[in-house]
Amino acid sequence: MTLSLILQAIFAGVTNGIVYALVGMGLSAIFKGSRVINAMQGEFAVIGAMTTVLLLTKSGWPYPAAIAGGALAGALVGAFIEVAFVRYMALKNASEDSFLLLTIGLALTLSASVLFFIGRDGHLLPPIGGEGVVLVLDAVIQLHALWLVAIGIGATLALRAFFHRTTVGLSMMAASIDADGAATTGINVGRMRTYTFVLGGLLGALGGILVTPLISVDYTLGLNLTLKGFAAAVLGGLTNPLGAAVGGVTLGLVESLAIIGISSSYKDVVAFSVLIVIMILMPNGILGRAGRRGG
Amino acid sequence: MASLNLQRNLLWIAVALAVWAALPFLVPRNIADLLVFTGIYTIAGLGIGLLLGHCGIVNLAQATFYGLGAYASAYCTVMMGWPSITGFLVGAVISMALAYVIGRPILRLTGYFLALGTLALSAIASALFFEWDWLTGGTLGIGGIPKLDLLGFVLDRPSRYYFFVWIVAFACMWAAHNLVDSRSGLMLRAMRDSSTAAAALSVDLQSLRTRVFVVCALFGSLAGSLFAHHVSFVSTQSFTVDRSITFLLIPVIGGATSIPGIVVGALFITFLPELLSKLGDVHQILFGLALVAVVVLMPDGLMGAWDRFRARLVARGGSDA
Amino acid sequence: MPDSAPLLALREIGHSFGGLSVLRSVTFDVPEGGIVGLIGPNGSGKTTLFNIISGYIHPLAGTIAYRGRSLARESIQKRGLTGLVRTFQTPQVFEKMTVLENIMVGCAKLTRTTMLQDLLRTPAARGQMREIYRRAEAACERFQLGGLRDLPAASLTAGQRRILEIARAVVGEPKLLLLDEPSSGLNAQEIDNLREWIVRLNEQGITVLLVSHDMGLMTVARTVHTLYFGEIIASGDMAAIQRDPKVREVYLGV
Repeated sequence: MTLSLILQAIFAGVTNGIVYALVGMGLSAIFKGSRVINAMQGEFAVIGAMTTVLLLTKSGWPYPAAIAGGALAGALVGAFIEVAFVRYMALKNASEDSFLLLTIGLALTLSASVLFFIGRDGHLLPPIGGEGVVLVLDAVIQLHALWLVAIGIGATLALRAFFHRTTVGLSMMAASIDADGAATTGINVGRMRTYTFVLGGLLGALGGILVTPLISVDYTLGLNLTLKGFAAAVLGGLTNPLGAAVGGVTLGLVESLAIIGISSSYKDVVAFSVLIVIMILMPNGILGRAGRRGG
Repeated sequence: MASLNLQRNLLWIAVALAVWAALPFLVPRNIADLLVFTGIYTIAGLGIGLLLGHCGIVNLAQATFYGLGAYASAYCTVMMGWPSITGFLVGAVISMALAYVIGRPILRLTGYFLALGTLALSAIASALFFEWDWLTGGTLGIGGIPKLDLLGFVLDRPSRYYFFVWIVAFACMWAAHNLVDSRSGLMLRAMRDSSTAAAALSVDLQSLRTRVFVVCALFGSLAGSLFAHHVSFVSTQSFTVDRSITFLLIPVIGGATSIPGIVVGALFITFLPELLSKLGDVHQILFGLALVAVVVLMPDGLMGAWDRFRARLVARGGSDA
Repeated sequence: MPDSAPLLALREIGHSFGGLSVLRSVTFDVPEGGIVGLIGPNGSGKTTLFNIISGYIHPLAGTIAYRGRSLARESIQKRGLTGLVRTFQTPQVFEKMTVLENIMVGCAKLTRTTMLQDLLRTPAARGQMREIYRRAEAACERFQLGGLRDLPAASLTAGQRRILEIARAVVGEPKLLLLDEPSSGLNAQEIDNLREWIVRLNEQGITVLLVSHDMGLMTVARTVHTLYFGEIIASGDMAAIQRDPKVREVYLGV
């Protein structure tokens, strides 16, 4: 086991971790804003990636425009789901489990739609920043991975600024902490919930687009990403979207170091075992912040 | 009045039994095959229904126990050459032990966390089924699992296996019904209404939840063994997280607190995809949408919706008279 | 003379929530067969103390002994099995279950069945269930809930819920009954009724620890402790408590 191998693993862990973080931040934002665990969060990633692939290859859009289109598609689907389903069920005071089942049903529908309209094949996107690699102490790092890390960090910082600086972000925070109180100050709580789904869709789609140059995307990718994103969000304390960023990177690192230590095939086993253990032993996440509400 | 009701109920039961007994001879082989699957899914779904309807627990790990039962049967009969019954027993014992060991810590979680904890469990199990190919045959699977043989009578056709599976399913339904009606069932319902008050009355929530989880695992394993002997071939594809989700849908669609509802859910899960598949590749999308429609429009499942519909009919009839 | 230990002995109980001290060295005994009252204004720590005795909260300091044995490691359920049963400030009935079923839950702990027996409906399981049913039915009559027995508990009035909750606790044959604000939400007639019940149950050998700020109901207690901001400021019979200058200051502002 050489230093460069470890370094390589650490970098791969951070790269994967940022993707988990983006999916997890979206999941956490949605949970914070609506108390819905979105079991189709990973499908946002598939939608974002597939839309980008189609815009790039079929419609011939320039790459940056295709990426923007893909992210927008995620946001639109998020808005649609809130307006079409979640709003109605929230009016009927549906139980926590019903929301979970709703999103499971939507995940099945979306994954079947991808299979039907696009097919079984996996698709790859070209790497952002070209095919080049960088050598750091013998560890080979793709340029795309550096871009991914930079964009991921940028998105996290932007999210933080959004929640703390902008009127809409502050209103969303207020509505999620105390819906009745927020409503009396004139905040449209229903619309805020729609925005959290838009945000969740956007972040999920971005995660999907960024990972697609590394792993090919197909209709089965969603569930796995949902689970990893959920693990990231739980590690971060679930109601804290920025915590999910820390959680995602931690999960990515644990996974890739486990690969060196044990065997690559046990990656998921390690990741999900960590998830279960953390949920039981550290219900507020590794940052230890209060605010977990299970049921 | 009461005797009239009783007579009418008995009549209904007699008709249902007659239909049940005649069914495999009246329908084509592929439908009989689906009916066998309905029975197997009913058994697996019963356990999830008990957890969901009576403990408020979303169990997304049933494919794990289903897989354990199936692999136990496959391994014992094909690899070891033991009689079929050993597969059933080994699967049941391993599943129950695993459910107990894992259930104790994991059932301390509640709500979403528990649901996703069980989902993670299913994901781990499905990865291990894949990795431990010395035991499971990996993606290649284990083939050549013998048909069940009851004292020389080989259950080699769907119509024959149908009776065996459904008698087991009825026995499981009877047991589940007993449980709901029993002292444990009483405490389960109390726990669901107010866990705080139930604790004050010495209802041991953790232990009850764990034991129902063990029962659920037993049903899952039994269904898995029956599945292995039906299809003769098991591989990792049958025990994925998707399968756990499908199993959860059985009580959700049918109605978790109703035992007939589990059969309705199992019928839905087996027949609807088959019916929709005539429409071509679009059927999976329609299945997903049907599921979403049930969750959104019928929060108590099809049986709950049916009960409400009947209540409305009765109310209307009463006001007319 | 007191050769037997008190049924419940609290020693130096202290507790705080997030740095805010809610109980400070609370010490008193509940003698076997007695009725002990605990009064105090809102926020004085009565309910916290109740939660500590019944096992919902673990105290940060002090010891509780029940029949001479420490309760520190006992779960809520274990405490219930040894005869320590509580009610709640807001009655916690099982809303979707009938009155009779509610009471049946209360005496379920007097019998034992295994899950296997329940699944197979063995004669033993059926016998136990009949026993539970019989006891619950008797309790239903005894507490004059017979007419309501098949109604869902959700349809009961506040007074009926209170009686149901007490019936459900008593049917499990408690030694020490902890009543948390049992008169809240009741009218004068219902409070009189409740008072009679407490006396009658006590005569039947059930020790009662009663929390209330209803001074009228409190006169059933032979000893009353006054809790004020987490400390006991006065103890004695009700008449003495009402004369106590510190209590008068707290309650009447004089």
